[in-house]
Amino acid sequence: MRMRNALAATLSVLAITAGLGMTSAAAEELKVWTLSFDNDSANVAWKKIIEEFQAANPDITISLENRSVDEHKAALRVAAQSSQGPDIYFMWAGLGLGGEFVNAGLSQPLDKYYDQYGWDKRLVGTAGGFSKIYEGGRHGVPYTFHGEGIYYNKALFEKAGITQPPASYDELKADAAKLKEAGIPAMTFGGTVNWHLMRLMDVILEAKCGADKHDALMAMKVDWSTEACASASFQELNDWSQNYILSPFMGIDNSQSFNLFLAGRAAMMLEGDWLVSQLRNENRLADFDLFPVPTGTDRLYGFAEYLYVSSKSDKADAAAKFLDYMLSDKVQQDNLGAFGSISINSNVKYDKIDPLDQKWMDIFAQYDKIYMNGDQAFPLDVTTEYFRVINEVASGNIKPEDAGKAMQSFIANRT
Amino acid sequence: MTFFSQAFRPVGSNKVDPMLVALWIAFILLAIIWITPFVFIVFTSLKSNSTVMGSSAFSPPSELAFGNFVAAWNRGNFSTTAFNGIVITVIKVPLGLFISAMAAYALAKVPMRINKPLFALFVFGTMLPFQVMLAPIFRQVNAFGLINTYPGIILPYLAFGIPYQVFILYGFFSAVPKELSEAARIDGASHFTIFRRIFLPVSLPVLSALLILDFVATWNEFAMALVILQDPRMWTLPLGLMNFQSQFQSDYGQLNAAIIMTVLPAALVYLMFQRYFVSGLTSGAVKE
Amino acid sequence: MSKTRPSLRPSLQGYVLLGPALIVYLLFAVYPMIDVIRMSFSSWNGLSPQAKFVGIANYRAILTQDPVFWGALWNTLIWTSAAVIIPNLIAFGVALALNQNIPGRSGLRIVFYLPVIIASIAVATIWKWMYDPFFGLFNGLLTSWGLTGLIMDWLGDKTVALWSVFVAHVWQSVGFSMVLFLAGLQSVSTTLIEAARIDGAGRWGVFRYVTLPALVPTITVVFVLSLINSLKAFDIVYGMTGGGPAQSTQMLAMWAYTQSMQLGVFGRGAAVSVVLLLITLIVVIPYMRWMFKREDMGR
Repeated sequence: MRMRNALAATLSVLAITAGLGMTSAAAEELKVWTLSFDNDSANVAWKKIIEEFQAANPDITISLENRSVDEHKAALRVAAQSSQGPDIYFMWAGLGLGGEFVNAGLSQPLDKYYDQYGWDKRLVGTAGGFSKIYEGGRHGVPYTFHGEGIYYNKALFEKAGITQPPASYDELKADAAKLKEAGIPAMTFGGTVNWHLMRLMDVILEAKCGADKHDALMAMKVDWSTEACASASFQELNDWSQNYILSPFMGIDNSQSFNLFLAGRAAMMLEGDWLVSQLRNENRLADFDLFPVPTGTDRLYGFAEYLYVSSKSDKADAAAKFLDYMLSDKVQQDNLGAFGSISINSNVKYDKIDPLDQKWMDIFAQYDKIYMNGDQAFPLDVTTEYFRVINEVASGNIKPEDAGKAMQSFIANRT
Repeated sequence: MTFFSQAFRPVGSNKVDPMLVALWIAFILLAIIWITPFVFIVFTSLKSNSTVMGSSAFSPPSELAFGNFVAAWNRGNFSTTAFNGIVITVIKVPLGLFISAMAAYALAKVPMRINKPLFALFVFGTMLPFQVMLAPIFRQVNAFGLINTYPGIILPYLAFGIPYQVFILYGFFSAVPKELSEAARIDGASHFTIFRRIFLPVSLPVLSALLILDFVATWNEFAMALVILQDPRMWTLPLGLMNFQSQFQSDYGQLNAAIIMTVLPAALVYLMFQRYFVSGLTSGAVKE
Repeated sequence: MSKTRPSLRPSLQGYVLLGPALIVYLLFAVYPMIDVIRMSFSSWNGLSPQAKFVGIANYRAILTQDPVFWGALWNTLIWTSAAVIIPNLIAFGVALALNQNIPGRSGLRIVFYLPVIIASIAVATIWKWMYDPFFGLFNGLLTSWGLTGLIMDWLGDKTVALWSVFVAHVWQSVGFSMVLFLAGLQSVSTTLIEAARIDGAGRWGVFRYVTLPALVPTITVVFVLSLINSLKAFDIVYGMTGGGPAQSTQMLAMWAYTQSMQLGVFGRGAAVSVVLLLITLIVVIPYMRWMFKREDMGR
């Protein structure tokens, strides 16, 4: 019987330790699940915001759990079936990744709180707009709003005789060729995290297909195998990977790729606005500049990240209170630059900012439409196949003209 | 050369065998290859990132960047993961051995109608790779509401550790001479008493071998923990290392420091108790 | 040992002793195996409350539509055949050498066994770092030897990635088989060897007619154990490549995990599991029969 007792004892110890988390019976504990961000200032800011919020609201305690991207997705899926889940969770906006959880009924509509707190009055329109794309009410609030563009090493551009940033996709290709001639790999990517190389495919699709067709492809409404621009895009991807990407790239990840970029091993990197603060941390802001990907459409490459309130949470009021705090002018002003270059709050004042941040501000002002990363547009299983096809094309194992067929047959088999 | 005075002489011969000397040299070379990864890891763990990227891969570190270990310890949350590893191991290993020993004793020494088929069922389990069924294990643990808890990981660990231990201990108990227990039975002692007073003490050497083996296996387990322990506060060392790798792959010095801190406990245990390893492994697989 | 309390019937005492282990084993090992079979005939996304019975649709899907399944199956088979032969041959050689009268035996045994006790995920991390295309050991060595032509993206190039992972597996698994072989070798009777030598048998003769026959049971055990171990290759692939590049190092165990736990198609994941389970049974059942037969003869 000893072991039964031991087991019972273990169980009760666990119950007690679980109970210790709550300071009193009245206190509500909010569980917040988010990523462990590459950009460490975001992690620091989260901790600080939570401490301040708890000090102001002693009846609410917040426990924060951070995970890497893939683990976060898996953990949420698990949480969907158990009572262990979060009250507030981080997820991208859009019909792909965010939509999957919303459609499965894991997010609760926040219309009530949008009215109650008047969030729309302070949110940047493009950032807040994503909450309206789902059926059955408004879901989630914006956490960040990101643009992605091309960063370049000024010295290397000069060395290759490039005097000004390219204005079209063809000019970009021409610059890549110039760099190659000067013995400089044009771009660097990390292939082990599949989404990194996917960015290149995304912008090529936007350039080759145009906005409407690109959207239709991502919505799986046009046939990938017959659409000429799709196979032309795969062709381009193949060309880039054979000629202009710092090689080898399939065996490294995005952070290694960033290291190589810092070390001047490649001239360009396709990254988000968060790279500015990474460059700032390295004290290397002066060596780099950036430009939006010249795709020829009027859309910016980017995405929004959202915080959703779980439908399983019975503490929606407390959760909304915390979200309201996150979105407030004060918090957004105090933590400006910690999450991304720009705030989702339109009342925030920007002054004394670095030239690269200013560049992003200008870019954001210039565009009012965006196109999203492929993995946020597709459902998960299609994304996995999309990654596989991209990698195969990039390493020359699938012919570009067959890549569309592979995509289409996978999509056709889904239903 | 006294070290070599007895060496290189085959059984029953007192001449040095040149063939053996040649073999030995080739063998030493192989051993050097085998140990190279460890040397490389230790070297890298003591280099700063700029040194790693600037100097040749296999040069010894010029400066000793012990700061890598401190930084990796903090960033990788080693205090949490090590603590969880200890809790899980300290509960699972003795508990598992104890219930396995009870079951093995019952199967070997208590005549029941179903000894044979039950034993076969356990033996079947020794060969069942749990990696095949991570999702159903997850579902089962979740059905008990035990995801992200110590019991949630310990119970499946027990379930997949029991078969091998029962198998080994069954062999051992079966070989214990009848006379030892028969006398006590006639005295009217219950099976519980006989198990505790006679069989547990005589099986101590086997139990300690299994204990060490199971300690290392539990400490190192990854796949099951990956699906059941989703909460970073519940992670064990291997999960922590995997997460460290996926987040800080480019901080080469710290990554290697993290590797060393993860493997060191098991390596030390092995060096201290090596003979138990050998007997633990071989007692079951190869009958003496 | 006096009779202190009215004891239960002996067989009942047996069940009590057996109970805890049996219950845990049935609940958390046997039941999931049954569950995985049931799951493989249903469709469930991990989010909706109910699973739906779909017959053999999952099997049809993985066998005819899944672009990765056959590659993963092929990889598993190749990997398993290689894992049964290559590390064991090395281990056999090492064990034979360690069984000779050579200096430094115990130290050498530690060297070969140490990788075994290291967590597979750490082995994966170690080797991933050595394979780093820019700063890792292998490409560093090749550069300094002037063999730049051989420099490769070890884990990123589809043609070599699986074998790069396999080399790490060899490094990790040789020690395990070595210990088993050593134990087997030590049980070979020295008197027999001497007798054979006196009869004029050479080195090869002794090996062929005395050592090898005595090792047959050991070889069988090592063979089966490494076969089962390699079928469940998971940690090392997960840690080194995650199945990439382009799913070229994907294996069944990990593909089942990916489908169920990452993509949320539990039914297909279960179907992959069942295929792997069947392959395992093809090995396990004959082995168990052989073992029980031996057991019975030993009695």
